This record gives sequence, structure tokens and C-alpha cells, in this order.
Amino acid sequence: MAVRSGGFVGKVLRVDLSTGKISTEDTLERYGALLGGAGIGYRVLWDEVPAGTGPFDPANKLIFAAGLLVGTSVPCNGRTTITTIFPTCWPRPLVGSGHMGGHFAAKLKYAGYDALIVEGKADKPVWLMIRDAHVEIRDAGHVWGTGIRRTTLEISQEMGPDCVVAAIGQAGENQAPMGMVVNSVSHSAGGVGGVMGGKNLKAVAVQGSGAVRIAGDMAAWEKLIKFHLSILGGNNQHVVPSFPTPQAEYYNPASRWIGQPGKRWGAAKPPVEITGTLRDPNRIAYRTNSAAYFLGDAAWKYTVRGNGCTACPIRCHTMLKVPSVTTKYGIPDTGQNTCVALMFGRSFFTQLAGQKNSETAIEACMVGMHLADDLGLWSNYGQLQRDLRKLYEGGYLKARLGSKEYASIPWEKYDNADPAFLLDLIPRIANRQGELGEVLSRGTGAIFDHWSIPEAQWAEDHTTTYWKMGHPKHHANEDDGQCGVIINTQYNRDAQCHSHTNFVRNGLPLEVQKKLAAAIWGSPDALDAPGDYTPANVPKARRAKWSLVRKELHDALGVCNWMGPWAASPLQERGYAGDDSLESKFVSLATGQAMDREGLDQAGERIFTLHRALTIRDMGHVDMRAGHDLVPPWVFKDQNGAAPFTKGSIRMDPDDIARAMEYFYEIMGWDKKTGAPGKARYAELGLADVGEALDAAGLTPKAEK
Amino acid sequence: MHTIRGFPATWIEHAAKASGFEAELSRRGFLKLSVCALSGLALLGLGDAFGENAPLVILDNATGCLLADPTRCVGCQRCELACTEFNDGRAQPSLARIKIARAVNFGPTGPTGGTAMHGDWGDGLVVQGICRQCPHPVPCATACPQDAITLDPKTSARVVDPAVCVGCRLCQQACPWDMLSFDEEAGVATKCSLCHGNPKCVEACPAAALRYVPWQDLTRDGSPSRATLSVTAPEKAKACLDCHLPAGTKSAK
Repeated sequence: MAVRSGGFVGKVLRVDLSTGKISTEDTLERYGALLGGAGIGYRVLWDEVPAGTGPFDPANKLIFAAGLLVGTSVPCNGRTTITTIFPTCWPRPLVGSGHMGGHFAAKLKYAGYDALIVEGKADKPVWLMIRDAHVEIRDAGHVWGTGIRRTTLEISQEMGPDCVVAAIGQAGENQAPMGMVVNSVSHSAGGVGGVMGGKNLKAVAVQGSGAVRIAGDMAAWEKLIKFHLSILGGNNQHVVPSFPTPQAEYYNPASRWIGQPGKRWGAAKPPVEITGTLRDPNRIAYRTNSAAYFLGDAAWKYTVRGNGCTACPIRCHTMLKVPSVTTKYGIPDTGQNTCVALMFGRSFFTQLAGQKNSETAIEACMVGMHLADDLGLWSNYGQLQRDLRKLYEGGYLKARLGSKEYASIPWEKYDNADPAFLLDLIPRIANRQGELGEVLSRGTGAIFDHWSIPEAQWAEDHTTTYWKMGHPKHHANEDDGQCGVIINTQYNRDAQCHSHTNFVRNGLPLEVQKKLAAAIWGSPDALDAPGDYTPANVPKARRAKWSLVRKELHDALGVCNWMGPWAASPLQERGYAGDDSLESKFVSLATGQAMDREGLDQAGERIFTLHRALTIRDMGHVDMRAGHDLVPPWVFKDQNGAAPFTKGSIRMDPDDIARAMEYFYEIMGWDKKTGAPGKARYAELGLADVGEALDAAGLTPKAEK
Repeated sequence: MHTIRGFPATWIEHAAKASGFEAELSRRGFLKLSVCALSGLALLGLGDAFGENAPLVILDNATGCLLADPTRCVGCQRCELACTEFNDGRAQPSLARIKIARAVNFGPTGPTGGTAMHGDWGDGLVVQGICRQCPHPVPCATACPQDAITLDPKTSARVVDPAVCVGCRLCQQACPWDMLSFDEEAGVATKCSLCHGNPKCVEACPAAALRYVPWQDLTRDGSPSRATLSVTAPEKAKACLDCHLPAGTKSAK
């Protein structure tokens, strides 16, 4: 294999399921400027998928991309970005990406591929076998109709125990927009499962025996890896522990660094007590227990261990063993996941949502995880659960569902918060059974379309946390005021950006955060404490840009944006500073070609801007500000009537947000009136061809012409 | 003065006397000495004196070994990456001398289904593959027709000398725990060297699942993971007969 550089492995694999043609292309030649991840995905969509292509059209493409640093021992690098015309985006499908961790990305690199492009549609169910240079399209007739667990087992029997299988379940097969693809038990990418199903592609299984090269000085590389480990916190880069200890100057009860000496993995055989010192690099894996963080201390006794992605010492997918669920619900007693997917089950029930230390809530979570990760059903960041609650409690279902179907649903179990309700509901959605299953399988936008419910009924109700375009907020004003709002306006699905919240919620006192903020964003006013907001300003907009650019950059490098960037650290001796140039240092050493922070951030901005261009092209109009960068009305209200900028309220002010957006557009170099980049801005970012094409189509701001 | 690899013969005689192997020396010469008195001579630093001439049959025990605790392993594979990145300059789990990837999904028995499966898809236990640094007879070293598996001078770990290895892979076939790796680029076998006493894998484990401890015989704990094919070169097999005589027979030499 011709490899000109470290980091990249050199080839992009392309598989046309319509013709069976399998080919490769040179990564650097075509995609070098876009690094990897969604960068490759956006470029393929721009070049090859015409505007107006539907998500389930054979002309739509699926780009599974690892990143430049994937497969190395850089901490937290196990991410795959899957880019496509995203099916849950409403009212029309637009570009979007699903992201998954696990072991898929690293295996793809070891097999010799920076990315995989899947195009066309197979004439019968198939799975894709990738064993290094040996790539085959194989018959999937024997696993079609089966869940992800069985599919993974049978494909592994055929291919070998150490392959990684990324498979869809029944939801994906049924082309449900809410279908997801899952690898390594619990690592899922939402929204793209149905697109795979539309291509008759049941699974992609990868085995790789090759290497990812490090082109630079190995001593420096090893030193940088160890430095990175030293500045890691717990999950979401919370850099102070949640408990007081003589070993740390600060603690914060909201921190996800909860692995306190004295706690234990109670379901390990024998249990593993957490011991040792706080910063011991050989005990980083004990810091995080997502189950105990989200479900309460009661989850420690069910904890088998932490699990997670290749090369990540932060094990955020907590493995639980809850024996009671086998007898009560007939499901395996062991399950694992993190965050919203961990809470998938309990969140359907008003009585259980957010409940900690409730045995019923924990059981509901086990049932939910089991079903969702086997049938391959996505939650749309919990919107599915909030939608069901609102539909049921708001009387929408009783009024709209046929009486026969309504009566067939075990609502008494739902009313009693009985997790067994999920055994009826979730297969109903994955199999798109009945009107309820069909509508919920299509996402929130289908609720508005199918039942003629005005979107405003969701957008005005803060309990839905609905944002726009069929998707919810994802770390918005509840975490980060104007910065969170700006970020949530930019994508075509929930924002999936954590750069901002990882800093704001890192647990350090505000004065320490402000000091760090001054060094990175030029002013201590670049952030407020959550719920204690001051008016919009330029430094906040600068931080919003930094957050978005780093999110895209992380996806391109395969580094986890649920952990990075590493702007802060647990190290008192560094004044709690992390290293804002960490990514560029890794890229420089991996590729052997010096790249500074500004240069790398510009690559991230290039990728982000290409997303903007695709959105403009596929929406067919340039006024992003009025037509795309929307903020739901609930953001401008307070349940208790508090005024904006009142301490304790997350209420935003419309004029202030308008100013925040203008600051942001200006910092991005975009037209303030439309929020769209001009031809010159595209050119400055190395996207001249994109700018010219949009300009020719009348999709650049008029002021420039 | 007669020397063997630079060591005066008189030193060796003294060493043999000190080790109680004088009679062996006089009867069968340095070959037998090298075989039976090796640990005594190793203390004097003279073991190497015979390496060049004698078929490599007995290797002194290593000073340390890895211990792995499956109940702590979190399956991140940072040990495999540290092994290859910091020793070989490239990230390549297939080359790692500690083996996690093969057990992460389904455990050592593979995708059998059923309730006995380990790994992420089973009960969660990740059974790490580690080199035992076997005592005599060392299966990989014994199988090597080139005598390419020798001792690391610092830890006495069994290591492959890439300059001598011809890439026949017999050592891979001989290891009962399937712990030899093969460097396809260099065309040679490779195995755990204990990183000269500072194992990178131990340093890299975020869950303290690996420890570096004084050597102990781990080959009797648990059963080997696979059937092995052990082929011993004839000249080496002959040397085995120096010690392994059938009862009541005398050496042919």
C-alpha cells in the first residue's frame, strides 16, 4: 500500500451495491484538505449526490469515515462519522451525520481504509465483508429479519471472532428514518440505519491486520500521549471530582468524575473496589460510571465494569448486570450504554424519567437498551420518548389513533410505569406496526405531518426541548446561554456539539474558567455560569465558532467531541489549563508535517463551511438566517415569568439572540443579513469551486454581486 | 589460553566447580555444562559463553512476568497500542505481544453463542492473552530451528532476534497460548520482550488490570488455549537426550 503520510492509511474504499463494483481511491489526493470524518462525507455528497436526492434513493450515499488519528493510542479516538442525506431532517431531508464509537473506526483503519463510501442499492439483502484488501459483498438472507445481536454473532462466526460488525436491526431493514446502525454491542449512529436498509445492506463487518503509522518523532509522540493522559478528566472532560478529597483543590457535585475511592464495581466477580490516588494514569478508567451518574448510586452494585471505544481510557459505556430483568422481562441480564441511550427505557415514562436510585427505572433502562440496541431504534436524543409522553398525556393519541389500535396498546402498563410496556411499544416502532409505530418510526416531523399538528405546539413547549427541523436541543441555553443557542441553530439535526458544554460544565469555579477563557478567547466575558447569563458579546460568539470548528475537526480526526477539546485540565500546577493546541500537535506528529493550531482550525472551518454550503444548496435558498438558523419560542420564555438575564433562569432575549447571531456571522465571515458565506469566503477556505457553484445558482448573498 | 567467546576456560572450570557441575564438565564438556549449570553460571554472567556453540535447549527463567486480571480489563486495547506504537513506531494491534482484540467480542472460545461466552457480547470478562515467559522447555525457543529465540540480557525474557529469524513461523505453531506475533513487513516473528523490564502495556493500562511481577510459572495455571505443533530440530533433539534419558539407559555420548 502506498502511504505517503502517517495518520492517514491512504485509501478510501468505494462499494457500489447496484453493480457490485468495489474500488479504492487515494485519500490524500482527493480528500487531504478535508482530513477525514464528515469532511470526506460532505465532499462526496457535494460532488456526487445532487440536490433533491432523497435519503432512501439509491442515488443517496453513505460515507463511513474514520479520522486521521483513529487507530493510534491518542486517547479518545474511536469515532466513526457516517454522513448521508439524513432522513429525520424535517420538512425536507438535508445533509447530516450519525456518529458512533466502539471498535469500527479503528478496524477500518487497520484494514487500510480511511473511509468507506457505500452507493447504489443491492437487489437482495447483503452484508459487506472487509478483510484488509479482501472485500466482498455477501448474501445476508440468513440474517435479514434478525436483530443486531444475532446478526453480529452469525457474521462473526463466518468472519472470525475479532471482526467488528456494524449492523442494522429490524428498524433499519424497514427503512425507518429512526433506524440506527450499531457496532460493538451499544455503539450506535442514529438516523442512518434506515438508509442502510434502503440499500439492502444489513451489515458492514471489518477485520484489519495492518498498521496506522506515526510519521514523526516517536519519543515526542509517546511524551505527548502521556501528557494528554495527564490532562484528562472524567467523562465530558469534567476536570474536578464530584466528591471532596484532599487530593484536589476543587470538587463539584455535578461532575461526571464520580469514581470515588470506596465505590465499587459490584457486579464484577469478585467486586472491584476503587482504590488508589486520584490522578493515577492506571486508574483513569474508574473515574467514569455513566450508570451511577445518570441512574444514581444504586447502579454501582450492578456495575460489571466500564466499557467503551478503542483506545479510550474514559469508559463511558457502563456494563450493567441486573439479574431481575431476566425473570421479569425475559431479556439478558447484562447490558451497556451511556447517556441518553442508557436512559432510553426509563425516559418514556413520566414517573421514571430522570429518576435516580429507582429499581424500576433501572429495570426500564435495561429493557430499553436491550430492545433499542437489538432492533436498532434511535431515540433522536430522547425526542422519541418526549414525543410519546406529549402525544399520550396531551390526548393527541386518544383523539387521533383508531380506537382499535389505541385499545391494543397496553396503556395500563404505561400508566403504572411498568417497563414491560416497552416490550410492546419498541418493536411496534421498529417494525413500523400500526399508525403509532409508523409515525414514531419516522421521527418528530412525521408527527406534525401525519396528524396535522402545528410544529409550534412542540416548539412553544419547553418540556419537549424540541428545537427545530424535527430535532431537539443538544446542550443549548440550559448549559451555555447565547453560545449554546448559536450552536443549536447550525445543524440539520440535533447539534451533537460538546466543545462548549465540556468547558462550561467542567466543574471548575467560574473565576478559574474565566481566566482560561481570557487566554483562549481573548476575554473573561466569553462565558457565563449556566443560568446566570449576561448579554451577548463578541467573545461568546468567538467561543461558539471555536466550539463548532473543533466539533467538525474532532469528527475529522476521529477524536471524541464528547471528551474534547482539552481546554481545561485537572492540573493545579498548570492553573487548570489544558492545551488548546493538542489536536494540532498530534496531527503534526502523526503526519510528520507541521500543522499549527490556526491551520488545523481552518481545516475544521472548511469542513463546517462545506456543511453550510450543502445545506444551502439542498434547501435551495440562501437566507439561512430566516429559513434555517431558527430558535424555538420556548427559549424566550420562563416558566416562572423571570426576565432574561435573571439568575436561575435560562430565558433568552430575542433581540439579544439576534445580536449574538450577528456577532457569530461576522466572526464566520458570513453575510449578516442572510447568515450565508459569500463566494470570497468559500475561496478563502479553499472551497472556491463550491462558492462558484453556489454563486452561479444564485445561492450566495446578493450584497456581494 | 583457551577461551570460549572470550571467557578463559579456567573461569568456566571455576564456575563449574562452584556450581557443583565439575564432573559434568569433564564428562560431557561444555554442552552439558551449558545445559545443567546454566542458572549457576548465569549468576556469574557466563551463560552467554556457550550460546554460540551450543544448541539452545535450556533458557534461564525470566526475572519478571506479566500478570493480567480479566475482571479489571475494560477492553480499551491501549496495551496493544502501547506495545506496538512505542516498540515498533506504528499502531498495529495484530502485531501486539499482548492480545486483547481477539477476546474482546466473545472471549477465548469465540462466537459460540450460549451462556458461557465471555467478552463484550458475553458476560463482559475480557481474558487477556499474555506471554508466560515459559520455563524449560520453552515451546517457542525449542521449536525454532534457527535458535533465534534468546534471552533479553536484562530480564531474560524470551525474545526473537530478528537478525536470525527466518520467518518460518514454527514458533507461532508451538506456542500453546498463541502469543507469538508475526511482523509481516519485516518477515519475522516477534514476541513479548517485557520491554527490558518496563512493560509499556502495564504502563498504558487505565484500569490497573496488568501488573509486572517477579517471574512465576504460569504455564501450569489453566489449560493451553490451543493444540500445538512442536517440531524440534534433530540436532536439538539429540541434546535433549543429555538430560531426558529413558530410565536405565546411558547417554550415547
